Amino acid sequence: MEKMSRVTTALGGSTLTGRTMHCHLDAPANAISVCRDAAQVVVAGRSIFKIYAIEDEQFVEKLNLRVGRKPSLNLSCADVVWHQMDENLLATAATNGVVVTWNLGRPSRNKQDQLFTEHKRTVNKVCFHPTEAHVLLSGSQDGFMKCFDLRRKDSVSTFSGQSESVRDVQFSIRDYFTFASTFENGNVQLWDIRRPDRCERMFTAHNGPVFCCDWHPEDRGWLATGGRDKMVKVWDMTTHRAKEVHCVQTIASVARVKWRPECRHHLATCSMMVDHNIYVWDVRRPFVPAAMFEEHRDVTTGIAWRHPHDPSFLLSGSKDSTLCQHLFRDASQPVERANPEGLCYGLFGDLAFAAKESLVATESGRKPYAGDRRHPIFFKRKLDPAEPFVGLASSALSVFEIEPGSGSMSWFVDTAERYALAGRPLAELCDHNAKVARELGRNQVAQTWTMLRIIYCSPGLASATSLNHSVGKGSSCGLPLMNSFNLKDMAPGLGSETRLDRSKGDTRSDTVLLDSSATLITNEDNEETEGSDVPADYLLGDVEGEEDELYLLDPEHAHPEDPEYVLPQEAFPLRHEIVDTPPGPEHLQDKADSPHVSGSEADAASLAPVDSSFSLLSVSHALHDTRLPPDFFSALVCDMLRFYAEQGDVQMAVSVLIVLGERVRKDIDEQTQEHWYTSYIDLLQRFCLWNVSNQVVKLSTSRAISCLNQASTTLHVNCSHCKRPMSSRGWVCDRCHRCASMCAVCHHVVKGLFVWCQGCSHGGHLQHIMKWLEGSSHCPAGCGHLCEYS
Amino acid sequence: MVSVINTVDTSHEDMIHDAQMDYYGTRLATCSSDRSVKIFDVRNGGQILIADLRGHEGPVWQVAWAHPMYGNILASCSYDRKVIIWKEENGTWEKTHEHTGHDSSVNSVCWAPHDYGLILACGSSDGAISLLTYTGEGQWEVKKINNAHTIGCNAVSWAPAVVPGSLIDQPSGQKPNYIKKFASGGCDNLIKLWKEEEDGQWKEEQKLEAHSDWVRDVAWAPSIGLPTSTIASCSQDGRVFIWTCDDTSGNTWSPKLLHKFSDVVWHVSWSITANILAVSGGDNKVTLWKESVDGQWVCISDVNKGKAQRPTC
Repeated sequence: MEKMSRVTTALGGSTLTGRTMHCHLDAPANAISVCRDAAQVVVAGRSIFKIYAIEDEQFVEKLNLRVGRKPSLNLSCADVVWHQMDENLLATAATNGVVVTWNLGRPSRNKQDQLFTEHKRTVNKVCFHPTEAHVLLSGSQDGFMKCFDLRRKDSVSTFSGQSESVRDVQFSIRDYFTFASTFENGNVQLWDIRRPDRCERMFTAHNGPVFCCDWHPEDRGWLATGGRDKMVKVWDMTTHRAKEVHCVQTIASVARVKWRPECRHHLATCSMMVDHNIYVWDVRRPFVPAAMFEEHRDVTTGIAWRHPHDPSFLLSGSKDSTLCQHLFRDASQPVERANPEGLCYGLFGDLAFAAKESLVATESGRKPYAGDRRHPIFFKRKLDPAEPFVGLASSALSVFEIEPGSGSMSWFVDTAERYALAGRPLAELCDHNAKVARELGRNQVAQTWTMLRIIYCSPGLASATSLNHSVGKGSSCGLPLMNSFNLKDMAPGLGSETRLDRSKGDTRSDTVLLDSSATLITNEDNEETEGSDVPADYLLGDVEGEEDELYLLDPEHAHPEDPEYVLPQEAFPLRHEIVDTPPGPEHLQDKADSPHVSGSEADAASLAPVDSSFSLLSVSHALHDTRLPPDFFSALVCDMLRFYAEQGDVQMAVSVLIVLGERVRKDIDEQTQEHWYTSYIDLLQRFCLWNVSNQVVKLSTSRAISCLNQASTTLHVNCSHCKRPMSSRGWVCDRCHRCASMCAVCHHVVKGLFVWCQGCSHGGHLQHIMKWLEGSSHCPAGCGHLCEYS
Repeated sequence: MVSVINTVDTSHEDMIHDAQMDYYGTRLATCSSDRSVKIFDVRNGGQILIADLRGHEGPVWQVAWAHPMYGNILASCSYDRKVIIWKEENGTWEKTHEHTGHDSSVNSVCWAPHDYGLILACGSSDGAISLLTYTGEGQWEVKKINNAHTIGCNAVSWAPAVVPGSLIDQPSGQKPNYIKKFASGGCDNLIKLWKEEEDGQWKEEQKLEAHSDWVRDVAWAPSIGLPTSTIASCSQDGRVFIWTCDDTSGNTWSPKLLHKFSDVVWHVSWSITANILAVSGGDNKVTLWKESVDGQWVCISDVNKGKAQRPTC
């Protein structure tokens, strides 16, 4: 502490000023070192050795230490270090193995002071003792470290690493006698300067050479090491065994590492190949650099913080022959650019949200609270709460559920699975779907279905007399009968699945009945595609055109000016739930139950006695009186479908489209329909509702959609003799001119089910083979194979 | 209104930058600064780690799922200038392709609608957007739009597949003639719309100008039942715009300010039915927005991360 305060006062009144700047050097730099006054920097390289003054706006060359006509190899510097106590003292490490000291106080031009020629190969590093003025340490490629007393002519002691080249040596700031050295083979050694015989401690720090190390200026037991394995590791040396406390992964091999002053967890690194940038890392956030300096165009060879207590100025020298001063605030900060949040709208209306957690939240907000959170599982990182929040981060990832009604898609799945789209009379389909919607709490949709039912079914039912018209044309008098039969069946419970199936079957038999008696329906060869049209036809007694004719025949029914019309018209565009409508007057109920209303409608009313159906009954009542043709509404219905589609409920649009079939189809252009269909099918498939999706495809009337089911239905056949693909359509192979797939029993060509033994590939008609196998287990073709059929 | 159903223990060692659910909503892919991409099975509120994908050498910014008709394919982009395409084969995830065509961080990836085949758009800090098209047998063809956004591109989003005219008009057996379009947002404060010309070259079709700072995200709304095209964009300036194009030519886009937030808005995401927009801002808050009947966008709920974290007692 004492020492720290002393230096701080030295910084004292003269605060550092400057800007991001650079100057051109004559030659590539190998190393730089800053004078303790933070105003001068020395740059050393193979053919450069100069001192620059750092001024506010620029670097100014102050002194060239390369003097003499014939530059000696002693001046080819691999490293340079400026004494931190004596402003006049410098030391360089030469590539020829010489360690040179320089005294700037010498009056002559040549400032060279002492020459130590003890190392046999390049000296990689020189280092002054932090507090002892005369002690200099060197580390060389020859594997030796030497300690010099500058008052003597030769080394005081020699340390043998007993391994490969020494890459770095650094005196500990904490222990007077300790220094660390790093080696080409990945080891780090800790030495006591008084004991040159063997190292105190040795451990393998990196995979491959350890190029550099740096003691933490404050946490003095911490040593940072950087290696060719692209990693920077921080070791706690105070424990018995060196413990790795942090590990930073950089992009390229680490050539230099320097702790950032006043920032406990920051260190600067540069690389000796590929990457020219200087990074400042927060060791707690080992994946993203906290700051990045991108000025250099070639490898950065030396970095130094300008003042040991100022975190904002960084100096660097590079192979691109420039000397730079970087201001921390000018650095690009990848962290700042980074997107701290991830957001995704899930399929089921759920929301995945990853957000940065602030430390405060991490510490205080960990107790699961008694809200609606179902699985309060948390992921927590161990962090030091005493640390101010600097830039390290973790994220919490939560999946949110949005409650039904707003965005959750569970209604979609339920609705898709439960809706009935075909196979039953229109009224029933509408009723059923309305019920489904109501049960799912979607009153608006339920109401829409009910309205549709009223619009499209009631007039038909109401005009029982007009039905009799068609009866007169040869239709059966069994119609009312069937109706009541159907109703009885439906009355007990619409919801139960078996009931549904049964009633479906009933309907089918009804249609058959109708078919036989009236032959009004023409397209029931496939009972599943009869879908939307048939039952409705049967209910209305006839196909659309004739129905219209009926109304045309009854001119008294056309009251276009009737004020009652306003009611239904409004009911649609408002498009809100009328759940709150008070129960209608009693007489409406009476009317609803009046004999001309079909029983099934009464059933619907009794099934859903209170809510929307009441107000609707009044509408239906009005309809009954006026007998509005369904066509009158088709524009409204189309509008409604578009409305639903725009609301994102394409399901409703498509379902109505299918259920109503021809009634509305012609009023909506083909392309829109197609778009709805494709959207809906795509949605169904996303929800894995393959059956529903297939049903929709089948029921769709758009050619572009129904052909979806005809894709990839090609079957490729190979000849059973020559094993080549059969090209012709017949049963004879083009190549071997023999009939393929002959029955081994009857020797005829099999045109239906063909079974064969996978062992001998002989086979034939299913029945023949089965029969054959009853008598013998050998191949009927006589190949002697013991055939096996599964 | 909104409740947390699951807090996923990602075990990511650093900030998560993106989370994406797959087509069926059963799997969640996350990516983080810690260089990893993780895939979780999140069915029934569970969270089972399926894969931990390592291969990037820098923070991974974004992930994107391809349509399942091509198999289980995930693309990721990273600060290390690479785009990696991962594929699940026999239950194990492996790197199937690595794209190294960018000179700077790749910020965004987005798969084209499945109708076009496997096409990936990548936006990078070097200002370029590259388009990778799978041509079969493990080969990817690269097209690059240089200088799409000066300083850098932050987001890309494809338009839903739209066919000019009805499907019926297409000669059967031929691939329909799709118009491929995508939107990009960048550091030049612009949103640009790109369209593939008939010769296969990409051309800038529109320049949408409204933001006053970096555009952070663009999201083209899925077209479900909607005849119009809609794009949501958000920016560093805190504003979220909804762009709509009503005319059939697709040339006039009008912005509508959804809201001005007090902080950076990082993400916009549409619900699959395109009627709700989720917006996440720098204050760790997600808001949901819905267009009301009169065409105004209203906030229907807040998902406040910070609030959810605070104990109630």
